[in-house]
Amino acid sequence: MSTTTETGAVGNTTPTAPAGPPTGRPAALRRWRDLGSRWLFLAPALAILVAVLAYPLFYTVRISFSELDLATFTPARNVGWLNYRTVLEDPGFLNSVKVTGVYLALALPLQMVLGFGIAFLLNVDWRGRGVLRALFLIPMVVVPVVAGGVWKMLLDPMWGFVNYVLGLVGVGPVDWLADPTLAMVSLVLIDTWRWTPFVVLIASAGLMSLPTDVFEAARVDGAGWFATLRKVTLPLLAPVILAAFIVRWLGAVKMFDIALAATKGGPGQATDVVNLYIYEKAFRGLEFGTASSMATLVLALTMLLTFLFLRLNRFLEKRW
Amino acid sequence: MVTLTATAARRGGARPGRLGRRLRIGAGIGATLLFLFPVLWMVSTSLKLPRDIFTTPPRWVSSVTLDNYTSYLTQADIGPRMANTVIVAAGSGLLSLVAGAMAGYALARLPIRGAGLIGGLILASRGVPPIALAVPMFLVARRFDLIDQHITLILAYCTFLIPYVMWLMRSFFLALPRELEESAMLDGASRFGAFFRIIVPCSLPGLISTLIFSVILAWEELLFALILTNRNAATIPVAIAGMAADTEQGAMWGPLTAVGTLTVVPVVVFALFVQKWLIKGLAEGATKG
Repeated sequence: MSTTTETGAVGNTTPTAPAGPPTGRPAALRRWRDLGSRWLFLAPALAILVAVLAYPLFYTVRISFSELDLATFTPARNVGWLNYRTVLEDPGFLNSVKVTGVYLALALPLQMVLGFGIAFLLNVDWRGRGVLRALFLIPMVVVPVVAGGVWKMLLDPMWGFVNYVLGLVGVGPVDWLADPTLAMVSLVLIDTWRWTPFVVLIASAGLMSLPTDVFEAARVDGAGWFATLRKVTLPLLAPVILAAFIVRWLGAVKMFDIALAATKGGPGQATDVVNLYIYEKAFRGLEFGTASSMATLVLALTMLLTFLFLRLNRFLEKRW
Repeated sequence: MVTLTATAARRGGARPGRLGRRLRIGAGIGATLLFLFPVLWMVSTSLKLPRDIFTTPPRWVSSVTLDNYTSYLTQADIGPRMANTVIVAAGSGLLSLVAGAMAGYALARLPIRGAGLIGGLILASRGVPPIALAVPMFLVARRFDLIDQHITLILAYCTFLIPYVMWLMRSFFLALPRELEESAMLDGASRFGAFFRIIVPCSLPGLISTLIFSVILAWEELLFALILTNRNAATIPVAIAGMAADTEQGAMWGPLTAVGTLTVVPVVVFALFVQKWLIKGLAEGATKG
């Protein structure tokens, strides 16, 4: 892409140029028309994205510096950094950032390890492999809010299936969603159930594409399975692992539906992830100014971390 | 044994013996069943009478009933909400597919000044949390009387679908041989002609798997649907969120699982039907995104 991009409007490498060298007005006209048609390809997407993505982002930042007039629902007056100061002193917001951090720190590594582990298990060449892999698609397409609701049912202290099974081995009943720590564990559990299959699919594709001769060489050199894993498999898989991590990260920072359906952020604020907290502030509390400040902070933090992960990805891709 | 180990080596990973192979297959089946269980339990609960839902020990279906489907579906607007979900998911899926594929093609193939910058911005936009768009979307939709209309949700879903489609299709188009459109354009086709008559038919698998994944993403979206709809355009996830909130004492388990099953079954059938393309699309979206 890069080489053709630089030539820009001249378009000397494009195949539109007819067989002979173009001369005079028709050629110029054609060139302009070609430039127009190139941009027409981009126009619909750019127009929609500017209207529904770029403009709202800009508007969020603007509201974050103003006080919203609740009669007209428009930004009324500029209050400078006041909203930000309020937000940074709001224990609820700080708690939600912490809760989100804990959730990410638990869920993402767990899903990566489980996902790659299961992909390894499923990678045996036998008749049922394709069927198992197809079945693993199913949790992934369960609507998240349904997943939250159904798991709430499974975890119910009275009639839930999980507690029934625990009862068989003499544990419980455990009121999963009523205890702050266990509620977080449950949230991570539900999210892991829904998203590990995604990692499994990515990891399976990665495992299948590993070159064979390297393993042969490792075997000839007498490497044990652990040495092979550490010195050969993991480095080779590193780009896939990081790519799967980045996609999961992009999804996980948006955590909202499952928490809303399963715990509503409770008990107390134990599972009040930041998206849920901002949603409640804005659309229940009608505190649009401070909610926008929180959203802007979350946006900045997310973009920063995403940027770092992408840089790390590129670095690793170059190294291996 | 020789052929066996050779196969294992070819598939990467360590080379287990016959026992290790059996263990792995067994564990693989076990893991699959464990992950499928909640879905099976949901379907089975949706077919139970209330008295069978609340039992200790819990049991699978004893007497099958469709009560949960019939009674709740008629009284709680599930039909219209299902229709809304279909309209919004199909509409936003198709709109983003057309706009996103064209843009992805432009970024992959056409000499455009600033294509690198645009590509970078698109990639970055995949990291924008929807909550950062929610407040202004609500305010603007409210001001222009667009709350509770399908088109509002369709456009809102484009915020995450178009970047997704652009990025996926860009990598897909990059992999196509250049000769395809070059020969078409030497034959006098315009850029649009070359794209729609040559490139699109060649990319049908990629386009369809991208469309399916987009429709699924729109199908399950909750946040925008909650804030931008009230009644007329409300989607199924909104209805389910209400029911899930109502399950304190398990009163709504029957209806919840019934509606949940209704939302999951079509997508599962869809996904299994096109799983090869879907897996390919997912893997490429992840590894090249």
